[in-house]
Amino acid sequence: MSAVTWDLSTIILLIMSGLTRASILFIVAAGLTLVFGVLRVINMAHGSLYMVGAFIAASVIQQVGGAGGFWLALVAAPLGVALIGAVIEFGVLRRIYQAEHVVQLLATYALILIFDDLVKMTWGAEYKSVSVPAAFAGSISIGDRPFPIYNLFVILWALLLAAGLWLLIYRTGLGRLIRAAVEDPEMLEALGVNIPLIFSAVFIIGAFLAGLGGVLVAPLGSIGLGMDVTILIEAFVVAVIGGLGSFPGALLGAGIIGMMFSFGITVAPRMAMAFVFLAMVIVLIIRPWGLFGEPER
Amino acid sequence: MTGSSHSFWRTGWPWAGLVVVGLLLYPQFVSRYYIVLSTEVVILALLATSYNLIFGYAGMVSFGHAAFFGLGAYVMALLTKRYESPMVLGLLVAPVVGAAFAFVIGWFCMRTIRLYFSLLTLAFAQLLWVIVFQWYGFTGGSDGIQGVPRPEILNTHASYYYFALGTTLLCLVLMWFIVNSPFGWSLRAIRENTHRSQFLGINDRFYKLIAFTIAGAFAGVAGGLYCQFQKWADPDLLFWTTSANPVLMSILGGMFSFVGPSVGAVVFVALREIIKVRTDYWPLVLGIVLLTLVLTVPGGIVGFVVEKTRPLLSFRKVRPPAP
Repeated sequence: MSAVTWDLSTIILLIMSGLTRASILFIVAAGLTLVFGVLRVINMAHGSLYMVGAFIAASVIQQVGGAGGFWLALVAAPLGVALIGAVIEFGVLRRIYQAEHVVQLLATYALILIFDDLVKMTWGAEYKSVSVPAAFAGSISIGDRPFPIYNLFVILWALLLAAGLWLLIYRTGLGRLIRAAVEDPEMLEALGVNIPLIFSAVFIIGAFLAGLGGVLVAPLGSIGLGMDVTILIEAFVVAVIGGLGSFPGALLGAGIIGMMFSFGITVAPRMAMAFVFLAMVIVLIIRPWGLFGEPER
Repeated sequence: MTGSSHSFWRTGWPWAGLVVVGLLLYPQFVSRYYIVLSTEVVILALLATSYNLIFGYAGMVSFGHAAFFGLGAYVMALLTKRYESPMVLGLLVAPVVGAAFAFVIGWFCMRTIRLYFSLLTLAFAQLLWVIVFQWYGFTGGSDGIQGVPRPEILNTHASYYYFALGTTLLCLVLMWFIVNSPFGWSLRAIRENTHRSQFLGINDRFYKLIAFTIAGAFAGVAGGLYCQFQKWADPDLLFWTTSANPVLMSILGGMFSFVGPSVGAVVFVALREIIKVRTDYWPLVLGIVLLTLVLTVPGGIVGFVVEKTRPLLSFRKVRPPAP
């Protein structure tokens, strides 16, 4: 246990770094939870889409360079991943919506294996790193500690995204259809709505979010194989704690897990991850459908 | 692989005997490479069959079976390496620890159903994985425990093959009697129709918990054997990707047959070795095979999973056991 001095600036710093982590987790878990809410499929390959997003971002930034590279990556990677998502939806998911959970889990697990090797073929097995875009280089000071400006940018993005998703779900026609599809897809279909199209749209939005998470995380750490499985499990924990299918749940879950990481690693570095899984276990035992979710139908 | 248990009673045992004789003789004719590979197959067959007790027979999709496998391996490694106990003790304690953990975890997991059951088993297994991964003082952390000693007499490839084979066969016979006991038939009844089995007075949660515990015990044995096979234990044995393997083997070989998972283990390892010689991309091929299987034969092996069609497809022929 390291001695931590608990002054105000330390606490604010921990909260800010927790929020950074929470932002990435929210963006990824929001996609996972959206797809589950509408399609009732746990997409195990969601982490793979995130990894592909990060690798595409690394390539774009390397090729284009400069500030433009990052902005281009911020647009190109999520769109590229959304395109891959469309292919997956047409090729795989569309055939297994009616199947048992175990079939869906196995099919999307197969996608993890496939993507892992495709990424290895395309980008190699070495770790890649991307520097923080020049516009957000440097840091602000909290008390006497530095805090990277880029992290503020990530937090801002997550907040904008949360607002954007809320608008999409509650203030647009597509959002209305999505909410209706969550409630009663059969009734919606009987009313003449093209359900498969809604499902495709939702899955593509989910993939887009995974790709966006991948771009934003790229400058924060190293990009490598294995990041798919790590984020998948963490996003799982977030979505399950908040309640699968619930956006406010994903937001709260991401906040909780982000803080558990930043404070946990400071207080008891070895135990932080264990606390995270313990939190998931406890929530699943007491309230399997999570804090904001609804019992399984 | 197909056929009811009755036809297996009538015609199955001679076949089983032939297979066993084949398994006993075959190391005399092949190279060391194949003996080592067969040892792995034998151990994985035990793991997959233990998993199928809950997956195929009781219809529970656990995503945390690696926990009990890994725990068995660590029990073996700790007992023989750190406490210098005989290997037999490790093999006796591993199932006890596997069963104990399975009972406690299962007790909590029985409160949830279907997807949430899968997620909760996954969460518990990951929790154990983190503990093993981080507890450097006891488990060696991410390094694992290297150089697990094996008794002199088992130190050749062939002798360890025979030892693993004998242990696995003993466990398979035990499991065979379990799944064909009234208890085993009750599990099938619960899988087919939980409500109706409740009306018959079956305490479904208790039966499932017992099945989960038994599966944990046999997974522990498999873990102990595996630890001695590779002579080390590492946290990866408990990681969730390891939990996927017995699911794959059960699906590959057929989850509604007793020998299915063992066949799946053979297919799994054979496929892996064939592909690894030709390319580095074994996961890619496994993924494509799995995806093709899931997408193209939904009415085949995997389609049996679909609860509503199951009685129509496969259980018309099966009669209840003689009273």
